[in-house]
Amino acid sequence: MTLTMLARKERLTAPAYDQGLLWVALMLLGFGLVMVYSASIALAEADKATGHQSTYYLIRHAAYLGVSFVAAMVAFQVPTRIWQKIAPYLFLIGIALLVLVLIPGIGREVNGSRRWISFFFITLQPSELMKLFVAMYVADYTVRKAAQMDSFTKGFLPMLAVMLLVGGLLLREPDFGAFAVIAAIAVSILWLGGINIRIFGGLLVLLVVGFVLLIWSSPYRLQRITGFMDPWADPFGKGYQLSHALIAFGRGEWFGVGLGASVEKLLYLPEAHTDFLLAVIAEELGFVGVCTVVMLFGWMVMRAFGIAKEAVLHERYFSALLAQGIGVWLGVQAIINMGVNMGILPTKGLTLPLLSYGGSGIVANCVALAILLRIDWENRRLAKGMPV
Amino acid sequence: MVRVQPLILLPAWRRRVLLIALLCGFMVLLGRSIYLQGLHDDFLQRKGDARYSRTLVLPAHRGMILDRNGRPLAISTPVESVWASPPDVTINAEQLKSLAALLRMKPSELSRKLENSEREFVYLKRRMPPEEAAQVMRLGIPGIFLQREYRRFYPAADVTAHLIGFTGIDDTGQEGIELAYDQWLSGKPGSRRVIKDARGRIIEDLEAVKVPQDGRDLVLSIDHQIQYLAYRELERAVEQHKARAGAIVVMDAKTGEILAIANQPSYNPNNPVKIAGRSRNRAIVDIFEPGSTLKPFTAAAVLEAGTFQPDSKLDTGNGTFTIGSATIHDAHPAGVLDVAQVIQKSSNVGAAKMALSLEPHVLWGMFNQLGFGAPVHVGFPGEASGRLRPWQRWRPIEQATMAYGHGISLTLLQLVRAYSVFANGGELKPVSLLKVNEAPIGQHVLSARTANAVKDMLELVVQPGGTAPRAQVMGYRVAGKTGTAHKLVDGVYAEDRYMSSFVGMAPASNPRLIIGVMIDEPSNGQYYGGAVAAPVFSAVMREALRMLAVPQDAPTTNVVIPPETPEVKEVV
Repeated sequence: MTLTMLARKERLTAPAYDQGLLWVALMLLGFGLVMVYSASIALAEADKATGHQSTYYLIRHAAYLGVSFVAAMVAFQVPTRIWQKIAPYLFLIGIALLVLVLIPGIGREVNGSRRWISFFFITLQPSELMKLFVAMYVADYTVRKAAQMDSFTKGFLPMLAVMLLVGGLLLREPDFGAFAVIAAIAVSILWLGGINIRIFGGLLVLLVVGFVLLIWSSPYRLQRITGFMDPWADPFGKGYQLSHALIAFGRGEWFGVGLGASVEKLLYLPEAHTDFLLAVIAEELGFVGVCTVVMLFGWMVMRAFGIAKEAVLHERYFSALLAQGIGVWLGVQAIINMGVNMGILPTKGLTLPLLSYGGSGIVANCVALAILLRIDWENRRLAKGMPV
Repeated sequence: MVRVQPLILLPAWRRRVLLIALLCGFMVLLGRSIYLQGLHDDFLQRKGDARYSRTLVLPAHRGMILDRNGRPLAISTPVESVWASPPDVTINAEQLKSLAALLRMKPSELSRKLENSEREFVYLKRRMPPEEAAQVMRLGIPGIFLQREYRRFYPAADVTAHLIGFTGIDDTGQEGIELAYDQWLSGKPGSRRVIKDARGRIIEDLEAVKVPQDGRDLVLSIDHQIQYLAYRELERAVEQHKARAGAIVVMDAKTGEILAIANQPSYNPNNPVKIAGRSRNRAIVDIFEPGSTLKPFTAAAVLEAGTFQPDSKLDTGNGTFTIGSATIHDAHPAGVLDVAQVIQKSSNVGAAKMALSLEPHVLWGMFNQLGFGAPVHVGFPGEASGRLRPWQRWRPIEQATMAYGHGISLTLLQLVRAYSVFANGGELKPVSLLKVNEAPIGQHVLSARTANAVKDMLELVVQPGGTAPRAQVMGYRVAGKTGTAHKLVDGVYAEDRYMSSFVGMAPASNPRLIIGVMIDEPSNGQYYGGAVAAPVFSAVMREALRMLAVPQDAPTTNVVIPPETPEVKEVV
């Protein structure tokens, strides 16, 4: 009797989950499907490897969405405390995968990067999963070491060591973009977790110095940097990809040339369906399209932080940090990807979360969003005094 | 179970700072997007146009070149070039075999071309007939494309090669009429501004297509039947006499139209590869010393000036005539001759004596009016003007030798045109390579009386006792003149190299055709114009008059070639 009344009251007063966030995610995923198809038609038709089949990428992307949906449903069922409990193990699995991917014969090399592992018919990109695992691990770490967050040796040093290991593995692939995102997630969570401000300052300096060293040490990264500075200096060489992306933006103007009408996607712009999907969006749908994507991501990040704030009120610090970690992940990766597309950041090889073509990325993004929804769901339950 | 939460602080300000940082990132992106799409878009679009908008040339159809009766002498036919983009080609073994068969290539060679994946444009076969190209496309192999081109085709091939010339790979005239009338024939190519994808396929038109303006047809004065005839006879004579070269011009005496103009050696303009030294239209661009064929004009000059009458006698003595240190020779001593006999026997001494009876400027004036030393202006590239030196600097010996065609150079076309004065009662007809609708009015150079008198003398040349009985044509009266000149080699007359020629007209009572024949270095024993060039004249004249259905002006039994006559040899 009481239960039914409560249930009815619950239905009447508030939804059980964050509908806004779910819709934003679905909008981004659906929009991504349409744009991946639009951007990949010409590429698929022209390519022998796809059998000149125009729907090659559309079919696969739709299948990934299906898998992601199932994965997200499963992830939503898992209580956050379980995530917290298994976070260190997941992290170890992630490291193991990052090691595996470097082993020739297991890791598949594409364009000079060893980023994929093939299991029978599926291909896994460990760095995408690692982003999620790092968010969980660092959140758990911060909660566990909360008391030592001021201490350099006890609070910061172990984390630094672990991150150097992960970073080292990622740079061996090499996957500079994933490293940047993972570093951003880790540093953000440490920052939120109250790390000593002087340590943080030192860490920032270290990161900047490290980045500069990395870029100067390997010539191809230096090339990417110089190409990004002025794509018109060498528009058919180093600046080729970016110059075409910028042309796509210029052609799009305010309202775009119309869905499907992009010229850049007709084999001019490399990676139009993955890293440079935003350029195709910009050309076909104009500033309106770009603005919509930016707003949706901005809204998503704000929701993640809002959910984190709720969790803090319920003293669920792991959930709070994880929610923000996910927000930082999606936000930073989106910002870097879009910045690359617009020529304000050097070319990295990062996809646009939730939109770009790519199986592992979509699955990881959807699982992360499911966890975010779960955290919110648990917040709402707690607010109503219900068990989680 | 009591879960002990550790002492933890999640300061709200840190969250706000991070969130604001992230939102700032998004704001920067929006700003950049506005800059790229709203402010900097002109520059970017220009860059884009430079990459993928192309102006395609739509070739204009080149006009046909036709003979006077509308028979095509040069036609442009559409052809297709087959090209491939190797990275896009998907082909199975069977398709490879049938494609190779259609392209007439070895399958191994074809697959080697298709495996060249570094290039995105490889010609597989240039200029295929459209129907064969269509068969190639029916195989449906991706990555194989056609490109429309025009190929120039010359049905008469080597017969008209020197006159028509040929076009280059870009369809512009390189030689002959093709070059001279290039503007008229070529028309204006159209254009099309398009966007192409990275593989070169056209996606859309940017602006209205500029339709090409096709070139216009050109109707020549040539009669292709007479052209074939002239070419064939010339070829035969050049072969028979083992000559270096030869040229023939057939002109309509009434209109000045060139009905045929042929040269040897020739080449195939449909495949102009080995053309060195063969492409010159010798009749128009080469000059030569005409020799005795010039004597009739000397005769005309003295008759016109009144220093001689047709029956005036002059003594050629023993066939030598010394002027200063130089001596002029005749082949045979001929004694006393009248003017007609000087022409008939082709006496150099006689011609020289006649010429010396004139003031230099009078003879020069005659030659000048006949158009020697000036181009014919027939609209042919590289037309030669010949060489007629100013009379002020003539020495008597020069005046004397010019009387029989030495020390003066002409083209065969100039010579043939000059003969039109005898055919038209003293009127010099303008020459045309294009069909004319109405006989043009020429310039009167001689009185009709003089012209007809010389024409009568020329009739004697082909009679027994003249230098060219072999120029006779059954059923027609023929008037003409032989020429046999030593060739000038490095400024010296070569003893054993001759230029044999004959220029004549028929029917003599009312001349319709003038034919000039020139054989360069006959070297098979015979070299006299009457023996080498005259038979060509006769054969071409006979057939051409028949083709034109010109009424006969003599009984069909008129041809009298003295069987074993020691032919009257002209002196060179």
